[in-house]
Amino acid sequence: MKDTNKLPLFSTYEFNPKLYDELFNENNEVREIYKTLYDLFSSYSVEEYNRLNAQAKASFFNLGITFQVYGEKEVKEQIFPFDLFPRIINNKEWTTIEKGVLQRSKALNLFLWDLYHDQKIIKQGIVPIDLINSSVNFLPQMKGLDPPEGIYNHISGTDLIKHSDGNYYVLEDNIRCPSGVSYVVGNRNAVKHSLFGVFNQYNAHTVVDYGSKLLETMESVKPKGVDAPVCVIITPGVYNSAYYEHSFLAKQMGVVLVEGRDLFVENDFVYMRTIYGPEKVDVIYRRVDDLFIDPLVFRKDSMLGVPGLFSVYQKGNVTLINAPGTGVADDKAVYTYMPQIIKYYLDEEPILNNVHTYHCSRKDELSYVLENIDKLVVKPVDESGGYGISIGNRLTKEEIEAVKKTIIAEPRKYIAQPIMSLSTHPTYIEGSESFESRHVDLRTFTLLGKDIDFVLKGGLTRVALKKGNLIVNSSQGGGSKDTWVLKK
Amino acid sequence: MLARVANNLFWMGRYIERTEHLARFLSVNYFTSLDAPDELSRSRQFVLRSTMYMSANEIIDSDKILDEEDVLFNVGLNVDKPYSILNAFTNAHENARSSRDLISTELFECINRINHTIKGYPADKFVKSGLHDFTSLVIQSASEIRSKIKSTLLHDEVYAIIMLGIYIERALQVSRIINSKLSDAAAAKVIHGDASDGSYQWATLLKCVSSYDMMRRFYKKTPVRESTLEFLILNSKCPRSIKNCLSQINKYINIISINKYAANDSAAFLIGKMKADFDYKLMTDIDENLEVFTGELIEKLILIAEKLESNYFNISDVAVVKKQTQKQLQK
Repeated sequence: MKDTNKLPLFSTYEFNPKLYDELFNENNEVREIYKTLYDLFSSYSVEEYNRLNAQAKASFFNLGITFQVYGEKEVKEQIFPFDLFPRIINNKEWTTIEKGVLQRSKALNLFLWDLYHDQKIIKQGIVPIDLINSSVNFLPQMKGLDPPEGIYNHISGTDLIKHSDGNYYVLEDNIRCPSGVSYVVGNRNAVKHSLFGVFNQYNAHTVVDYGSKLLETMESVKPKGVDAPVCVIITPGVYNSAYYEHSFLAKQMGVVLVEGRDLFVENDFVYMRTIYGPEKVDVIYRRVDDLFIDPLVFRKDSMLGVPGLFSVYQKGNVTLINAPGTGVADDKAVYTYMPQIIKYYLDEEPILNNVHTYHCSRKDELSYVLENIDKLVVKPVDESGGYGISIGNRLTKEEIEAVKKTIIAEPRKYIAQPIMSLSTHPTYIEGSESFESRHVDLRTFTLLGKDIDFVLKGGLTRVALKKGNLIVNSSQGGGSKDTWVLKK
Repeated sequence: MLARVANNLFWMGRYIERTEHLARFLSVNYFTSLDAPDELSRSRQFVLRSTMYMSANEIIDSDKILDEEDVLFNVGLNVDKPYSILNAFTNAHENARSSRDLISTELFECINRINHTIKGYPADKFVKSGLHDFTSLVIQSASEIRSKIKSTLLHDEVYAIIMLGIYIERALQVSRIINSKLSDAAAAKVIHGDASDGSYQWATLLKCVSSYDMMRRFYKKTPVRESTLEFLILNSKCPRSIKNCLSQINKYINIISINKYAANDSAAFLIGKMKADFDYKLMTDIDENLEVFTGELIEKLILIAEKLESNYFNISDVAVVKKQTQKQLQK
């Protein structure tokens, strides 16, 4: 749909009226909530906007909000692609999202407790035992262990999309090491510096309180008998793609950023090596995968963990955030049971929609999937970063046959969902020097602690920068946007 | 503070200071030679050898002809030469990056921005016309970074460790520059005898440690061997003199040292002893055998740096497995 009356940066803006465009309604009119912002952006000439955009990018580059790409000889530093046009969420929609993601996080926490204790939900036949037996992320070492204050998923990242029906759907719960919160703050700063005038006209919630809430959460789950807990973040190191985030969070909280080699275990406690000798550590926010945290218990070749850490955890002398073994519950197969899980533990109806899912492990559903691959998205149960996904309507006949073969070989590994249409949002495309519509999703960040349940009022809007692409992950060329949650 | 991070901060300080001295020596040594009074000092080969000796600690065979652009590229921007200015700054940046949670955002941004500028500096321009521009940029950058260190960090043990790195490196670099210029002056004397204009070599030495103007102000005379060396080694008010560096090292080591009485073989003890020795040293005590004196000075400073590492930065030598680090799932 073209409209020649549109202003310079939007003169070629096109969107598919069958999808939900966040800027224009079905009558090709700018939605009320975006009017001020649209007028502002429209008033820029291409040159002015290019300058603003270049300044914003330079600030990310200079601040080192970057990731490193390691070539054979050279290390290249790159910024995560970022778009200055913010996404706005009105207060009413946000209230639903906030309640919904909290409900899911709490239900998942109770589910994890149950899985590692009595497994009532399985015994009562609500979820199949297969779900656990075949999951590589179920850690038998966690059976019967009580994490402080009964909390497993202190930090959850929930991925949502807005479908063509205008409703939000949850695509995924991430309760291992959800990443991206530093970009929420980084994006907000960049937008504030570039578009400061417009903030007066939008009453948006701040996002800078995440660090202090996270520290509060960490301190609230301190081991028994500790008065003022020493909290640290453990990072795999400067070569990790999320190192910027680790250092950012440590700085925001004023806690020490350690690597595995900085810690050691003695007499059932964890210590860090400081210039004045050992100092006891009580709460560890670990950004190291489960299997790497302790070479004595998990992967023996891990150089990133701390020998003996898990036994200290078992004795209750240190808290790990998130608890080991949470991965069993953010499996894509578990996702499909979320409505039942919420009902079972909270006796509530799910506030947020789940996308209908077909399990290839079930015979009747498998045959439906095989017959309708062209209408479905097929996903491996246990892959991250958008890998291994086939989108049915993009496949050639030969590719469909190949996908069928892979599914038949290992049905348990795959699920299928109807092709959901992610909403579109105006995104500046440097090549064409104008705004074009691109698919977006939303990642929210939830914290659970003792008497703390907090959802960051903002979140990360991720953009699939390739035209028509539905995969927003940064590892596959995705970018991000600032997200404004309005107070009224 | 983590011992590993303390080590990184110490080396960050050292590399920042090192880049400045490498850049200034390169620039001053090159540009002053262009219209030097004697033939030897004007000789390109002599200047290039002196540059290689200072930057790379390499003594080049006398029958080897050095290529000017090669030498400039190697000491300036060659990523494959560990002694290049580019690599020294990369190390400073990497050390800052691994402790960025401890240093201020302003300081990290400054180091990071300069790192981009240095890495992106066109090598071609540098060797053909950019020598002055590039070295000035590096020298100014080091000042800018030091000012961020002083004005944005808490003056606690983090600061003290960075300053220790800066002053130990400064003392070492100044000693090495003195050493190198002593040998240049000796070479000029062999060829030109007493006819060689000694004051040229001494003025160059002072400029290499950016102390020429202040030396003139202090003595109000043309620099000669004795006054120049006295100024650079024993003047307590010159911010680049060895004596001043030692007194700063002593000050900062006392901030991080929690024991009031340092053990006999500790870094704190050694530096205190060395400082006390310098407090009562006269030029006549060292002038007779200056080469030996500067040689021993360098050895002592290296020993102190090593002691510091073993006293405070005792880190396990576990190699970080990059592959595991990069593979950690950060969804």
